[in-house]
Amino acid sequence: MSDQEEDLEVLALRRQLDDAFATTRPRRDFEDELWARMQASRPAHNRFRDAIAGFMQGIREVPAVPAAAVATVLVVVLGVGLFAYSGIGQRHSGGNALSALSNGSGGTSRNGDQSSSGGFGLIPSPAFGQAVPATAPEATAPNPKGGEFTGPAQLVWAGQSSIVVTGAPVFRYREPSTGTADQFASALGAVLRGRPQGFLGAYSSSDYTLKVRGTIQSPPSSPAYFIFAGLTMEPVQAAGASQADLANIFLAEHKLDPQWSYTVSVDQSGDPVKVVYERQFEVPGYGLAYLVNGNGSRYGLEVDLSNDRPVVVSGMLPMTLDGAYYNLASPADAVQPALNPPPVATVAPLPKIQLTQVDLVYVLVPAGDHSFFEPAYLYSGTMQMNGVTYTKHVLEPAVVPSQRKP
Amino acid sequence: MADRPPFEDLYREFLGRIYAYIRSQVGTSADAEDITAQVFMNAYQAYPRFEVRNTTPAAWLFRIARNATLDHFRAQGRRDRLRRTIEHQPVADVDPAGKAEERIQYRALLAQVAQLPERQRDAISLRHSGLSFDEVGRLMACSEDAAKMLYHRGVKALKDAVQKEAL
Repeated sequence: MSDQEEDLEVLALRRQLDDAFATTRPRRDFEDELWARMQASRPAHNRFRDAIAGFMQGIREVPAVPAAAVATVLVVVLGVGLFAYSGIGQRHSGGNALSALSNGSGGTSRNGDQSSSGGFGLIPSPAFGQAVPATAPEATAPNPKGGEFTGPAQLVWAGQSSIVVTGAPVFRYREPSTGTADQFASALGAVLRGRPQGFLGAYSSSDYTLKVRGTIQSPPSSPAYFIFAGLTMEPVQAAGASQADLANIFLAEHKLDPQWSYTVSVDQSGDPVKVVYERQFEVPGYGLAYLVNGNGSRYGLEVDLSNDRPVVVSGMLPMTLDGAYYNLASPADAVQPALNPPPVATVAPLPKIQLTQVDLVYVLVPAGDHSFFEPAYLYSGTMQMNGVTYTKHVLEPAVVPSQRKP
Repeated sequence: MADRPPFEDLYREFLGRIYAYIRSQVGTSADAEDITAQVFMNAYQAYPRFEVRNTTPAAWLFRIARNATLDHFRAQGRRDRLRRTIEHQPVADVDPAGKAEERIQYRALLAQVAQLPERQRDAISLRHSGLSFDEVGRLMACSEDAAKMLYHRGVKALKDAVQKEAL
């Protein structure tokens, strides 16, 4: 064999080696399985350290926070974090935002500082869809049995607000990644099965499938997980337990207990029975404010039970929140845009509705890489039409316009 | 520290290459998976201490992979490894991982690489995993020229082995 032929053979062999190394890969699921194992193997102290790091990052993003206040809040957070880290008081209802710091699952890294308003800069304004359609009332015939009145109306603010706070925290979260979803799933013991379009991941466990998705821009919807029971999912057995108890048991057994404040409502009007954990945010000086969607309905986590068997669970994906204080407009000022809407082409006079009640609530405002939970006012009132009582709910941003993007 | 990429980025980028490197060293895909898992578990734990200015992520990961592979050989012993390779071959057909790898065109070639003397095998595997001769030399504690020499001797030995197999 000549040297030239030998050189050509060596060259060919090198190319084969290049191809061999480039095409030798582990089996298809190995990459995701190993990543899930790695996430599950993270020591608890690392997770706690990350939570503290997130807290410190939040503070750095608010330049005007006085050092003494930072130190005070840090001491409190460390104390509460260590308390929660110890495993005591993990289960709670009505707990405050700080108590969820240590477990990093849906907690807030801090409550904000009242002396440094607007720490996130100008925040995006919530879009409530201008719920009143530009049609005449006769074109949108109201439900003859009453309920929510969705047609255009002439609104009047006739209430007296008991809301005296002039500021409230705005909460911000980073858009969850596939890694976030994988970590959540692996903590539940679910294994990645794929990444279908529109979802961060689809997973399976012995008795259910799990899907996780990020924020939906419109209509706004929080990052969420969905559990669909498999055929092997057993009914929850607990003699004498209420539907809410059954849901609690299921969530505890599957490490899905909400780590935020909530109240529970149960809708037993149909099958499945819906047990809803309505999420709340703590507002110092006000109390607990519910998280609501664009219709004013409260949400957070829902367990659907059919014959005591959980069939679907849908909940907010646990996320770490940063908080910063923002100034609030008074309810009387904030309602003005609803009282003076753009003119509506109509042949009949609009029904007049007196708004008599207002509650401070929180709404999701999607904004790309970072989205916000912002305070809003939920006004409500009733009216009579043809002997039927209708209710009207109106949402308006609560943060002063000067601290919001137009 | 700010230049350090998220570990997940490294993981997604290098998992396949690290696996291929390890697979070229050991006899079965099951062993390759076990060692690869150990490599990334160790790397994940050590990543907070990884300094970008001292080495490249590739060199760092391949160093961990090389040490893990050597540990594997030390634990098993080369004779044991060969015996286990032979013993495992019949059951590889029913192993899903083994079956998947059956479809890889160059499995036989990597098996030949695995039979080379240790340092030649190492030089070939590291070089064809995308490292420069300088990086190969650093990992193998020798000069760049020595790494080239080992590599060329390894390729020559491999060519002879492939030709012998063809006969």
